[in-house]
Amino acid sequence: MPRLLLVAALLLGARPSGLPGAWAQAAPTVRLSLRLAADSTATGSRAPIVRSENLLDDGRWLSALRSGLPVRLHYRIEVWRSRGGWFDAFERQAEWDVVLRHEPLLDQYTVLTIVGGRVQERRYATLDALNAALAFSYQVNVRPAASGRYYYTASMGISTLSDSDLDELQRFLEGDLGEVAQGEEGAGNALGRGATRFLLRLAGLPSLRLEVRSVTFEVR
Amino acid sequence: MRLLAGGLLLLLALPSGLRAQDSVIVIDPDLPPGDSAVVRGGPPAAVVAELLDFYNDSATTRVQGDVSFPPGSEFSGRLAQYRGSLRLGGRVRGDIVVINATLYLLPGADVEGSILVVGGRLIRSAGARHTGPERVRWDAAPVLRTPDGSLVLRERRRPLGDLATARTSFQTGRVRTELLLATGGTYNRIEGLPIVFGPTFELRPSRASVARLDLRGILRTAGEGSRLNNDFGYSARAELRFPGGGVAGRFYSDVASFEDQPLSAAENGWSAFLLQRDFRDWYERTGGGGAAWVQPTRTLRAELSIRRDYESSVRATDPWSLLRNSDRWRRNPLSDDGHYFTVGAQVDLDTRNDRDRVTTGWLLRARYEHSTSDDIASVALPGAVRPDIPAGGGYAFDRLLLDLRRYSRLTPALRVNTRLRADGWLAGDRLPIQRRVSLGGPDLLPGYGFRAFTCAPRGFVDPSDPALCDRSIVAQVEVRTRLSLNLGYRMRDREVAGVGRFIGIEEADLVILGDAGKAWIAGDGPGQVPIDRIPSLHEWKTDVGVGLDAGGIGAYLVKGLSEGQPVRFIVRLQRRF
Repeated sequence: MPRLLLVAALLLGARPSGLPGAWAQAAPTVRLSLRLAADSTATGSRAPIVRSENLLDDGRWLSALRSGLPVRLHYRIEVWRSRGGWFDAFERQAEWDVVLRHEPLLDQYTVLTIVGGRVQERRYATLDALNAALAFSYQVNVRPAASGRYYYTASMGISTLSDSDLDELQRFLEGDLGEVAQGEEGAGNALGRGATRFLLRLAGLPSLRLEVRSVTFEVR
Repeated sequence: MRLLAGGLLLLLALPSGLRAQDSVIVIDPDLPPGDSAVVRGGPPAAVVAELLDFYNDSATTRVQGDVSFPPGSEFSGRLAQYRGSLRLGGRVRGDIVVINATLYLLPGADVEGSILVVGGRLIRSAGARHTGPERVRWDAAPVLRTPDGSLVLRERRRPLGDLATARTSFQTGRVRTELLLATGGTYNRIEGLPIVFGPTFELRPSRASVARLDLRGILRTAGEGSRLNNDFGYSARAELRFPGGGVAGRFYSDVASFEDQPLSAAENGWSAFLLQRDFRDWYERTGGGGAAWVQPTRTLRAELSIRRDYESSVRATDPWSLLRNSDRWRRNPLSDDGHYFTVGAQVDLDTRNDRDRVTTGWLLRARYEHSTSDDIASVALPGAVRPDIPAGGGYAFDRLLLDLRRYSRLTPALRVNTRLRADGWLAGDRLPIQRRVSLGGPDLLPGYGFRAFTCAPRGFVDPSDPALCDRSIVAQVEVRTRLSLNLGYRMRDREVAGVGRFIGIEEADLVILGDAGKAWIAGDGPGQVPIDRIPSLHEWKTDVGVGLDAGGIGAYLVKGLSEGQPVRFIVRLQRRF
């Protein structure tokens, strides 16, 4: 019964009493924003602009980076056509990754931006510069052309990369998409991968997913 | 200026204070796929050469680390800063170059001359004054300071591939070898924690095709008494993949589960390891087989397979668990031992946009198997469950699994996911016990307890509580909406002022769910369902629930709607489906 009450409290958003310190609502948290580009076309179609904020204000990511753990930001944007009153129609999506890594010998931060097998690497020598770079906006060329009412959803997943993830990334960068496409995992990965993620969570290491939606716009 | 980086178009910054910076990155998913080559950003070579010349010039005053020019101070000449920060509050007459450091123009700062910042930011306070050209590039300058105080160009020593420093792989000629030592399968009451070890050899005859040989040994860590043939298992698999298909062959001696529910393999492992609750049943199999598949599109895959193996019963042992270690494990049911020859056909249609965080698409998995056996030693089951299996050969049965899922969005805020799953006997002799099915438990019908519906006839007692049904069918629906919770606690970071570490849940899906299902024995006897029909809907068991799915962990309250079922608390370590 006590665990039921605890879960009910969590479901209702209740706040356990007696805990010291500030609650997250009062502190800046990582934020994902999604807006529409101002440069409308003649048809009214507009591109989405995605931006993450306050990433390094949350010490989790900085601690992870300084502990030698690469941090992966996975972005996804989806285009949906609103059909008012019936299931909305999925049109298309675009995904990209940003991988952050601290190189202690150089005291520099490496930022890899990966889109469709293309990789760009940039380095930053100061936290200020890294923070500014992480606040870049991403304008995504997924503007719908057909007429209708549309909106975008954007999500950003942030996680630390485990060794196996690194290996997978390495394979991806080498062009091996086979197992990723098949969804097949090598022997021994089932519990091992789960254990890695579970232990990372227990250790308080970061894993976060944020979602946001745009306003609806009309394409004529 | 546009800087083309594959799918990235890095546009010149628009804000005046950030000229030469990329503040908007354009993602163009319609560009053709890249070749995985790494495009390295960074300051242009001419800029790097300029700052090296400036810094190494004997007329330049060089400073390093955190340096301040307080209000009222004056400096004339060429000034170069390397690493750290340069805080100017006074007057400077001359050019300034800041390398891999941040330049602060404090109130009262007055600079006459050019400013070049590479590898850092220029932060200007109100009241600071600067006359002269100004260039800022945030990308780090690839330079090193030598013992004699000069700067030199740093060669890049580490390619991107070195990210995966923990890899235990090496290349010999055209063959890539990888050594593996990992946990295998899942923690269970038969093997404990299987340890898998062995090499993988990989050869790429061309860029699009891969030949791979996996050799795996399996060390079982549980104690004696399992009736396993050996403390060691093995798996040897050879595979050739080419564009549009592939073939594979495999020999194995391992432990497999009866059903693939009510928890995934990883979740079941955690449940066994932490709580001494193993929700699956197990048998040992030794044999070999092969498969060939075609994949005409990325979303469609069809496979034909053939295998012959010996399947035999194993007994639960007493592996260690974190909690309830003194409890007894549930007994493992006997299986119908014998050699089985199986041909199978499977079709997968997967249009999901993401495997873990799917928001749209279809998943259809259909698998048909025809199995025969000539030497089955069957377990005695009540006649109401299964007629006697013919002795002396000729045992044959067909089995079908259908799993259809649809992920869709009803409104911008609401997602609706549905699933229909049917599993069980199709034709021929009735199923061996290791192919039989049940319902009840966290996955398919969470409002009811584990194995709530096993089709065991009244009076049948077996402490292993085996699944005895011929068939099962389940329909699931869930509505999800994303909630911003920010439920948690922020701890102060002792190293970085103004930075906190958040522990808790920022966002999660609120999930409202409902399930309905039925497991039954096909036939004309009392309580059975004719073989050419599925049960009418009023016979199905239903449940409803609500929960939070934070990704990677979810908690649900679910209640069965019949027979006075209690509210059940379910924790899942992955999405329901």
